[in-house]
Amino acid sequence: MKIGPINIPLKEDFSLKSILAFEKTPVNILVAVSVLAMLAMLVIGVATYLLHGHHAYNVTREHPWGLLIAVYIFFVVSSTGFCIVGSLGDVFGFKDFTMISKRAIFGSIVTILAGFTVIAFEIGHPVTMMIYNVLSPGLTSAIWWMGTLYGLYLTFMIIEFYFLLNNDMKKAKVFGLTGLLVGLAAHSNLGSVFGFLNARTISQGVFYPTYFILTAFITGIFLSFIIMGFRYKLNFNEKTKKLLEGLAKIQGLLISILIFFVTWKLLTDIYGGMPNRAEVAEHIIHSGSFWTEVILAMIIPLLVILKDFGKSPVLMFWASLSGMVGIFFMRYNLVHDTQLKPLQMMKIREYQLSPEWIHYFPSVTEIMISLGGLGLCILLYYVGTRAFNLDEDEHH
Amino acid sequence: MARYGMALDYKNCINCKACEVACKEENGVLLGADKHRIWVGSNDVKGEWPLLDIASAAFLPSQCQHCDEAPCQEVCPTNATYYDENHVVRVDSDKCILCSYCMNACPYDARYVDDRTMTVDKCTFCSDTRLARGETTTACQNTCPTKVRTFGDLDDYDSEISELLRTREHFSLKANLGTKPKLFYLT
Repeated sequence: MKIGPINIPLKEDFSLKSILAFEKTPVNILVAVSVLAMLAMLVIGVATYLLHGHHAYNVTREHPWGLLIAVYIFFVVSSTGFCIVGSLGDVFGFKDFTMISKRAIFGSIVTILAGFTVIAFEIGHPVTMMIYNVLSPGLTSAIWWMGTLYGLYLTFMIIEFYFLLNNDMKKAKVFGLTGLLVGLAAHSNLGSVFGFLNARTISQGVFYPTYFILTAFITGIFLSFIIMGFRYKLNFNEKTKKLLEGLAKIQGLLISILIFFVTWKLLTDIYGGMPNRAEVAEHIIHSGSFWTEVILAMIIPLLVILKDFGKSPVLMFWASLSGMVGIFFMRYNLVHDTQLKPLQMMKIREYQLSPEWIHYFPSVTEIMISLGGLGLCILLYYVGTRAFNLDEDEHH
Repeated sequence: MARYGMALDYKNCINCKACEVACKEENGVLLGADKHRIWVGSNDVKGEWPLLDIASAAFLPSQCQHCDEAPCQEVCPTNATYYDENHVVRVDSDKCILCSYCMNACPYDARYVDDRTMTVDKCTFCSDTRLARGETTTACQNTCPTKVRTFGDLDDYDSEISELLRTREHFSLKANLGTKPKLFYLT
């Protein structure tokens, strides 16, 4: 497709018909129906939000950030992860990883679009945000930097993808590197949104900005297994096996580092004995959602990798699905745990019990919008696979 | 141009909550337990009868501390939270995008969402109401039967609050966070 000087090489048979013409296997039909259901939930969720505002959410004065913030983080972490994996080949020149670059960069675009969609319904005034982000920038705010840099990052990713589609590897490399650096800056700023919270000692400090980059890379590799698994229907050729084995080995190292980081974070939190931080950390290790995160995102994938040092791509596909569920819990825990401890520890109403822990469970509307974001992400990715050639071009 | 602050002789507080009511009435704060700019905190009495620890049940009236180094102001992405000419921490509801970062960053839980504007609201030291009418006290101070609160200009050497802070020992809440609050609790 040509628009002026811009040439977008679409697949020749791309049409609404080609989108609907998927193989009608039970799995494909299940995925298609699920995506439609999730998109319907998005519509219902957004309609409820537009009617009732934040009252449709279970966020409160004490727990102002809820599920949608966690889901936004989940998507942008996925995007940064895709970007890192995509850069291995086309920016850093690791030949084995080049075959996933185009697919991963496209993945980074659709995941961040899904993230922006979800956050648009969490921010009370998204239009005002766009205006005053420019007219009255709060340069000391991590949210300002995170949002602005992610906007730039999306632009660079789109330009990189365009050059990848047109096989202009030189320009793709320049924009890829710039996008990667901006993306890493944006993502660590997202970590610092929590790291700057002096009032919340459990999150305050350097841990989250660095941990976000590490977990983004891990997320990117989980997602790579998932998209390659769907691409080759778990029937991988030799070249793909080599790619996935390399990724699995990196993943083994990264998950080990993550376990090391998290262990020391909790040890210093608990045995450091700092008021507020220590009791929150103890509360965290007694919560089921923390262990869900540990088992699904760390233990299961690591055991699968260690079994034969990453030589079982099919098993790794399933472990990556488990990993992504674990990563979701990781994001949810991060947001919820930050707000666990009430800032007001005195009773302010008659007949009130003394404040203990802040309780939060997402409302149906929040869950619907979140699942809708996932549905949108899968739909965009699927349409992309129909519209563009996301495989590596033969002549490289 | 003043630098407004408030001294609280908190041991005089009898938890009548007249200040909470006066604040809502004067500033048109919506009804609802979560919608409050100021509050009086209390603890359960510790110990067992007859050895009750009466001192543990003291009341602590509080509100936005109007910090000189306000975390809520630093984290605001659109500068909706700002210091006005009297060093009062204010919210410009036209610029507020309701990202709720300030609510998370405020160590004092002093912010809430005003459902009419769907923006964050907080204590203004009655800047839009009483001070705008030329009065020199806040609603909470004016109504307090035991004269807990003294509002005034910290830069004015002769003001009542300056005199109090010169002559009485005082502390600030969560001073370790470096927020430099302008609410002073007299001991």
